[in-house]
Amino acid sequence: MNFTHLHVSTAFSAHYGVSWPEELAAAAAADGATALACTDRDGLYGTVKHLKACMAAGLDAIVGVELAVFDDDGDLRTQLGGRVVVLAHGHNNGAGYRALCRLISDAHARTTGKAQGAVPVAVTRAELASRTLHPETLQPVLTVLIGPDSDVGRAMGGRRYLRPRTLFKRWLDAMPPGTLAAEVVSQLSPPGEPLSTAHAVRMLKLAAEHGVPAVLTNAVRYVAEDGAATADVLDSARTLKSLHELSAAPLLQPNGQGWLKSASRMLQLGKEIIHAAGYGTADLKRLLAQTEALADRCRMDPVADMGWKQPVVPEASVIGIDGDALAELTLRCEAGIGRRFPGISGEREQQMRNRLEHELRIIDSLGFASYFLTVAEVSRMILAMGVRAAARGSGASSLVNYLIDVSQVNPLQHDLIFERFLSRDRATLPDIDIDVESAERHNVYRKIFERFGAERVTLMSMQNGYRARGAVRDAGMALGMDDGEIGEIAKQLWRFSARHFREALVEKPELKEFADRVDQRGFGENQQLDLLVDLTERLDRLPRHISMHPCGVILGDATLLDRTPVQPSGLGLPMSQFDKHDMDPMGMLKLDVLGVRMQSAMAFAVREVIRLHPSKAEVVAAGAHPAGPDGAGPDYIAEDGHIDLNAVPLDDEPTFELIRSTHTLGCFQIESPGQRELIGKMAPREFNDLIIDISLFRPGPMKSDMVRPFLEHRHGFAPEVYPHPDLKPVLKETHGVTVFHEQILKTFDVMTGCGLARADEFRRALGNEVLEAQVEEFFRKEARARHYSPEVVDKVWGTLKAFGSFGFCKAHGAAFAVPTYQSAWLKAHHPEAFLAGLWEHDPGMYPKRLLVAEARRLGIPILALDINRSQAEYRVERVESGPDRGKLGIRLSLNGIFGLSGAELKRIVAGQPYDSLADLRARSRLSRPSIQRLAQLGAFDSLHRASGGAANRADLVQHLQKLQARPQRKGIEVIEGQLALPLGDVELKNLKAVLPAPSMVDNVRAELDLMAVDVSEHLMTSHRPLLDRLGVTTADRLLGLRNGTEVLVAGVRVATQTPPMRGGRRVVFISVDDGTGCVDSVFFHEAQEQAGSLLFGTRLLLIRGTTRRTGPRGISISANMAWDLSRPETLPFPETASGGAGQHEPCLPGPLPGPLDGISRNFAITGLGG
Amino acid sequence: MGMFSESVEVACTPSGLPLRLHWAGRQYTVCAEPVRWYERRQWWTEESRAPLGSGPGLVDHEIWRIQVRAAGQDAADHTVLTLDLSRHVGSGRWRLVRIHDALQPLRKTGTA
Repeated sequence: MNFTHLHVSTAFSAHYGVSWPEELAAAAAADGATALACTDRDGLYGTVKHLKACMAAGLDAIVGVELAVFDDDGDLRTQLGGRVVVLAHGHNNGAGYRALCRLISDAHARTTGKAQGAVPVAVTRAELASRTLHPETLQPVLTVLIGPDSDVGRAMGGRRYLRPRTLFKRWLDAMPPGTLAAEVVSQLSPPGEPLSTAHAVRMLKLAAEHGVPAVLTNAVRYVAEDGAATADVLDSARTLKSLHELSAAPLLQPNGQGWLKSASRMLQLGKEIIHAAGYGTADLKRLLAQTEALADRCRMDPVADMGWKQPVVPEASVIGIDGDALAELTLRCEAGIGRRFPGISGEREQQMRNRLEHELRIIDSLGFASYFLTVAEVSRMILAMGVRAAARGSGASSLVNYLIDVSQVNPLQHDLIFERFLSRDRATLPDIDIDVESAERHNVYRKIFERFGAERVTLMSMQNGYRARGAVRDAGMALGMDDGEIGEIAKQLWRFSARHFREALVEKPELKEFADRVDQRGFGENQQLDLLVDLTERLDRLPRHISMHPCGVILGDATLLDRTPVQPSGLGLPMSQFDKHDMDPMGMLKLDVLGVRMQSAMAFAVREVIRLHPSKAEVVAAGAHPAGPDGAGPDYIAEDGHIDLNAVPLDDEPTFELIRSTHTLGCFQIESPGQRELIGKMAPREFNDLIIDISLFRPGPMKSDMVRPFLEHRHGFAPEVYPHPDLKPVLKETHGVTVFHEQILKTFDVMTGCGLARADEFRRALGNEVLEAQVEEFFRKEARARHYSPEVVDKVWGTLKAFGSFGFCKAHGAAFAVPTYQSAWLKAHHPEAFLAGLWEHDPGMYPKRLLVAEARRLGIPILALDINRSQAEYRVERVESGPDRGKLGIRLSLNGIFGLSGAELKRIVAGQPYDSLADLRARSRLSRPSIQRLAQLGAFDSLHRASGGAANRADLVQHLQKLQARPQRKGIEVIEGQLALPLGDVELKNLKAVLPAPSMVDNVRAELDLMAVDVSEHLMTSHRPLLDRLGVTTADRLLGLRNGTEVLVAGVRVATQTPPMRGGRRVVFISVDDGTGCVDSVFFHEAQEQAGSLLFGTRLLLIRGTTRRTGPRGISISANMAWDLSRPETLPFPETASGGAGQHEPCLPGPLPGPLDGISRNFAITGLGG
Repeated sequence: MGMFSESVEVACTPSGLPLRLHWAGRQYTVCAEPVRWYERRQWWTEESRAPLGSGPGLVDHEIWRIQVRAAGQDAADHTVLTLDLSRHVGSGRWRLVRIHDALQPLRKTGTA
């Protein structure tokens, strides 16, 4: 006996379904089913996973959706008449699937894409009817199931006879013949309730009366009974009501019988219903036969119906070619040779041409030529927008990408392997990621839609699943627990999956208190806490909603919207219901267009350089650039002063000098304390060193102690060791240490002769329980056959096994190293413009105030806020007077002042310049607090000086405070053509000088409060006398000390990191900034105990430790004790000074205000948590 | 109508339908076709644990409504009793959860 479930929600029905497609398919297959449906709510969110799971389990997939239908009688925009299941018919060349996709897009078309939109996801009956027939043949392609949750089913309750019939008639009238079926469901709920056998009987009879086929389903929400409790909690999360409230409503499922019942149970269920209806065996047979007939009609052909694994790229005509795509690609590569390899000849040329042919052959055999042309087109389009773009990822392994300007890395120079990116053995569309300026990302998206047409483009989505915090909140709400209490518990959950909540209770010290409460059983509250833990674990990972993926854009041909349903994203642009895992199965070409702040910062810097130095000669002079071929400067600087960063040669000595100095704050990827230590030790000399550096500074290599041997070999402290001389060419660049994926590929190839393409398949299998054993067997057998000794084979396999799973793709490293180099280049040659760019776009890990300190260290003047000179962004300016006259300084931006609104900011800038406070008030209509804050920050100091008044900043602030709040007057109307009388500022001029001028400490405090930046002077400066008395060494003098010298250092904390370490013992890195630079200190286990609570909680630190030389230019402190500088009574003053210590205590600021928060950030790229 | 819970012994047909029961020292035979459904439980107040994999029986329990008549030595008593029995999914044990007024026709109970 065979039964096919036609109505099944997977976990991808957010806040509704419980079980994963794989579980459902496996259970159905185990029961002997031959097909299984997936009918998620509102979309095809789980469909591709379902398809995959069915193929793996040997089932035919049936796809459909459960959709709400608007009530024809009610408001057609908001009122719903119930939900129906819509199934696509299969084996019709995709006509059913196409109609389903379009129908779902219809259902979402009116929604806003924002949470809590007023318009629900639903279709009108007319829309539904219009999609059910094939547009040409007029044959049915969809079947609509009218079931217990439809308007008809909902009217079944009570003793109403006519109402369900009227409603059912309406469906019959509205829908084309052959597109309707009645869905008979009994979940054996109490007699007379929804989903009871009695209701099922009524539906069955209604179908019989009208000659509509009836099918049996179980409206499945979970694979087995156990999921019922999870479904209850999801109902609570969806409706935002506690279980208690829902049960009283009553809105909960009547019982827990909505599971994927076996065929024999479904047969039994059918019998019960037929028996209760008073029908006979023939009727039972008919019901089951109709169910199977519909199932057969809806079996999908994954390839012919849904386009399984058939890559679709935009039509050639759209990318502007009319001939053969490969011929065009070849042509463009030829054109690129002249640009990328000017004057190449001889053996090098032969090598390059061989590689090019090799790549083109593979691209041809996979039919991906138009894919490359598409990516090139997007890349070209972005660059034409004047937006910086750089390819990232394994795409950098391709010479073709380099030649057609998609990537900036020469794969030949860095020995990158094409097979890591694309090979005949792996017919999946490769990923090419393009980094663009973060500030321009949305514009780039819009442009892509414009360029390729809205029918060919959609954004990719991502599934957001429950993590521990969200899960505990929703579980708590279901149990009706107090919000505040749940909030307290949720706060303590950090970095573990909800599934391991109970384990975490035992292990994590921060959860100890909660664990103790759970343990005290026997009380009502503790019963609740115990349940809370169980329910939280139940919710773990279940999808909550989809949102726009941070970078994925899907490009297709004109049929794209026939192949994926779309819905509005928060951005307004349409978003596919498919996520990144669905791309490859559905043959979708995804482009990652990622917004990178550093790219914005660098673009900003380049614009500032042109603005200040609008000619090539000026730029060359300002940046101390080489004279170039003709003496007029290098080619990468245009006549108008524009710097083509991508064309800057990668061997600039001042840039590497800067990198080796470890003064790399603000530079991409190499600014963290750990990285500065590593570059200090490594002392990079060339671009390849940067690639290695970036690849080494990752959790895997750090944990497995690859760094130390690498450095020892590099500096010749220890002889390089190779497992076998054959591997020397492979491992030479990293001195015998395996760092890159590329080296793993080559090792496989050298020792087994498997070829690079297969080698990449082997690499992917490493770490996979099943496949790894097969790879090992193959490797050992082939290596032995090639006469490698058992010892060598053992040793090499050990390395492959250990490093294969987390090694780094060199192409990634190379692609990352480009912006790293470029940012260091900018910092070396145009530091003012570069820092302005950093302040404007804030790309790094540090608070802005540390970069201000860096500017101070570099001697770059920071120009105060000025109502007439400051703009909405940071600006580089030539200093006109004072000791810094002639230098370039950075003028603070009006943006980012606490309390100043965006509108006020716009009005200030639009109205500049102002000749008086009255003028400012009249034209910018600033709020009183805003004016006051600007005064506190000294924005009116220049106006004040110009007026010739004698009073100071404090007087002005007091004056502004005393002004009565006047009724808002309209701005003074100036008649056009009439000049304002140049009276000067009478108000400022007449201000009485009463108060003492604010001290530097006051000003710095105001700056920190209002801008989170200490501008006037470093906030440590006021502590300097105290520090001198303590005998503290400043950062700039550390490098002169011997290794192992005992020192005291002090400063403001700027970064705290606890990177993963070998052996599992926690090591804490704390960096402090003392105004002369950054001091990196490391706290090992004992020092952590000594420092205690100061370790994480204190902002101003005094640290005692010994110097550790980390490299020729690198030094750090191995800490043994720390104190809180803001508590002078605890400080260790030298014995001799102890007598007078309390007497002339400098005025210390108390605990510092909030702006210093935010000192720890995550390293999104390295994966090292802050 | 009473509402309590008491263990009873039930003998079933091979297909699982209740046939006879032994309750409070007396024998009964089922005299009408039983009705069966699954009834929700307020598991979040009744249980202290609900871990993943607890299996069936947490959210609902199986209820059988049967009409019985005394059997054996009490067979002379022709009173028909309507009883609601619950069957525990795991153990298969039966409990009597409701006794309905004997003279009332079978209908849906108001409380659940």
